[in-house]
Amino acid sequence: MVDKILAEYGAVVLDRNAKRLVVQVDDKQLRPLAEKLFESGFYYANGVGVDERGLGHDFAMYHVFASEKDKLYLVVKVSTSNLKLPSITPVIPGSNWAEREAMDMLGLEFEGHPEPERLILPDDWPKGVYPLRKEFDYNERPEFVERKPESTPQRTDVVQLPLGPYHPALHEPEYFEIHVDGEVITDAKYRGFHIHRGMEKLAEGRLTLNQVPFLAERICGICGFTHSIAYCQAVADAAGLDWPERAKYIGVILLEIERLHSHLLWVGVVFHLLGFDSGFMHMWRIREKVMDIAEALTGNRKTYGLVLIGGMRRDIDESRKNWVLKTLTELREETERVSKDIFGMKELINRIKGIGVLPKEDARALGVLGPVARASGIDTDVRRDHPYLAYDKLDFKVPVYPEGDVLARLLVRYDEIIESFRLLEQALSEMPQGDVMIEDYTIPSGRVGLGATEAPRGEDVHFVITGVESKVYRWHPRAPTYNNLPSVPIMLRGNNIADAPIIIASIDPCFSCTDHVAIVRKGKVIWKGPLGEGVKQVGR
Amino acid sequence: MGRFGLIFKSIAKGRVTEKYPFAPIELPEGFRGKPEIDPEKCIGCGACATVCPPSAIQIHVDEEQGYKTIDLFLGRCIFCARCEEVCPAEAIRLTKEFELAAASEEDLHQVVKLKMAKCAGCGRPFDTVRHLQFIAEKLPEEQKPMLALCPDCRAKLASKILTVAARRHR
Amino acid sequence: MMFKKSLWVFHLNSGSCNGCDIEVLNIFTPKQDVERLGIKLVGSPRHADAIAFTGPITRECLPKAIEAFMAVPEPKIVLAIGSCACGGGIWFDSYAVIGGIKEFYKILKEKHGIEPPTTIYIPGCPPKPEAIIYGVALARKAVEQKQKSEIFVEESDIDDAATLFKEATSTRHFIPKIEVIKRGE
Repeated sequence: MVDKILAEYGAVVLDRNAKRLVVQVDDKQLRPLAEKLFESGFYYANGVGVDERGLGHDFAMYHVFASEKDKLYLVVKVSTSNLKLPSITPVIPGSNWAEREAMDMLGLEFEGHPEPERLILPDDWPKGVYPLRKEFDYNERPEFVERKPESTPQRTDVVQLPLGPYHPALHEPEYFEIHVDGEVITDAKYRGFHIHRGMEKLAEGRLTLNQVPFLAERICGICGFTHSIAYCQAVADAAGLDWPERAKYIGVILLEIERLHSHLLWVGVVFHLLGFDSGFMHMWRIREKVMDIAEALTGNRKTYGLVLIGGMRRDIDESRKNWVLKTLTELREETERVSKDIFGMKELINRIKGIGVLPKEDARALGVLGPVARASGIDTDVRRDHPYLAYDKLDFKVPVYPEGDVLARLLVRYDEIIESFRLLEQALSEMPQGDVMIEDYTIPSGRVGLGATEAPRGEDVHFVITGVESKVYRWHPRAPTYNNLPSVPIMLRGNNIADAPIIIASIDPCFSCTDHVAIVRKGKVIWKGPLGEGVKQVGR
Repeated sequence: MGRFGLIFKSIAKGRVTEKYPFAPIELPEGFRGKPEIDPEKCIGCGACATVCPPSAIQIHVDEEQGYKTIDLFLGRCIFCARCEEVCPAEAIRLTKEFELAAASEEDLHQVVKLKMAKCAGCGRPFDTVRHLQFIAEKLPEEQKPMLALCPDCRAKLASKILTVAARRHR
Repeated sequence: MMFKKSLWVFHLNSGSCNGCDIEVLNIFTPKQDVERLGIKLVGSPRHADAIAFTGPITRECLPKAIEAFMAVPEPKIVLAIGSCACGGGIWFDSYAVIGGIKEFYKILKEKHGIEPPTTIYIPGCPPKPEAIIYGVALARKAVEQKQKSEIFVEESDIDDAATLFKEATSTRHFIPKIEVIKRGE
């Protein structure tokens, strides 16, 4: 079916394998093609602007679409010689920041983009300096220019509550502005990208192919390992490598350990935000054991640093395997017992039932991912839909709840904790013997690769173009919070200000992964019109 | 019943808090702690500096004094153990030490200065004595004299040899 | 000793990956529980005795970090937690970051004339919770500092390669036998 659509719009197939397809289209055909793809069930997964002058081409934009139904990632390439391209944001809202990112970092222009404003670079960054162009050195630091005053003027008709950038409820520097009418939230504004560290340029500039996994791992200190796996999958995809079976199983084991610690952490933080600190302490006490397992298997509690392009750097020996299996059984019993007590508390359940609802239709339109999507009745999971590593050989259930409230998101994650225990037990006992690393490989240059993993927060998509002298030419990671954050304003609609922290936390946001701007007006997301205008319209 | 269950659980569990810093803690085998260079074994080849993702190991060459400096800065190290993997002389390894806090940045440096050998052709210091000796052990006897020259002089000599050989062959 | 009683800490994330932040939070949970030692996280810099700095200080965060830093009353201690805060970490020379606490002090000195306060460097990526506790203990001079700088200088008389190996200036030992390989054989 995809082929039929592609043929209709004159797309040329550049490269294809079982999991992904790379095509090039004419820039005039891009918008109708994107619209058609969106209608037939594809969602927007990643968007990458590339300065291809080093490869003998011009500038290009790669739009990545994904479909659970077709089990396919579709990479659509459009080239431009005059920096101008049509915007697809009017037909797919999800591409909004991807295009703005390309504007900021490469100086591309998207015709018809509703909000062509600075997104990533700091306010004191000079105009006309584009860090991802090849003539810019990764360690160049342009002069500071004067900061513009805040673009939104102070208003007298609504109550504006500033939150951040340093605030006790936030563990990362972010700026929120919440507008309230009495107790009820009417509007939320957000300025992010405080944590832009220039890693894409660093990967192209200073690091080599085998050093980037360590950089990828530091995208996020909680779910970093899945980023490094996604990167290595992308390079393996570009070069056509296949890991040894044992390495795949070890990858699954470490990914599931990471999911366990991340979900337990999240459950603890949610209890803390609800004022239920004994639940928080119990959850983090259990989590400490998971950290011990990670430390025993990898040598570090976090940032495992175990993956290279060819596979895993450490093996799991028999005695350690048995110890982990034994500890996991105890942990599972402990988790189940403590959770039984916690879910028996009616006041806790009533506190989170029915707040922060995200309806299924809105969830699909925004392309939310991971546990947030599954709690809104969308049956999606990269591990099952686009299997990687050894997931296709393991048996696990994907929990789906239709309610879409905070309680459903808690239940989805609790079920996933239990599924992770099952996956770990299977993977540890079924792990085949053999090598864990291939050392004899060559990476061809100028090839496109795509890697996707299911992080604790949703789908990670990494896009790679390989370069010469064992470097990456372009690397672009997309973290799940990027897609999940715009759903927060919808969840906040009509709720009390006291529920705001728990609702924001319920998507498990990770700002070091992502940042973006969204405006909500009386419960309706305004995508069109620049930021300042959107706020002006809210006034009654 | 829920909340009482939790209280009973806390009582039944007893103390979970460890005594640190008043008692030491146990670390698992293979823990990645402080990297240490054994200055007696280090040959100054620079493999660690090449693979180090954060460039925490940096190499400086002082041609006037004739020293090569290997500077390991713990304050930038990410404890990935890539240096341990690639070191041909097994001179750098990760210990289990994790108590690395220091009151000044200078305390976080480990510096190894190795003597460099001068080229027999141009007299420029080009490589550490230890690295040359390390390579010499692996080379057949007739090729060893080549090590007395720096890469530039070696290339010149090699082209000269080839010209002579080609002439003879003809 | 500067602070005799409980140490109140303000946690300032200046663009960290979350790893160090979670470990900072971790020391307040049952296993390490540093509240038994009188250490407490506070929500406002104005209540704090110490700042726990994490992250390499991104360009966007710099003015905000300076403001928060100046709001902490004197005397203060700075805890630079993690490799990013100590020396810039893996991003130390990227365009988007300042590159660690030392560069931050340089900017403070130049722009505001502020001398750097007492600073404890706690390397690690992220440091173990116990390593953070050790750093705080060091700030209070409860433990001895183990980590010291080491400088090794090789003593050797040999400094020219000619004495190491027989000189190779003449060509006659090396002339290889050239065999002509014809294509297709």
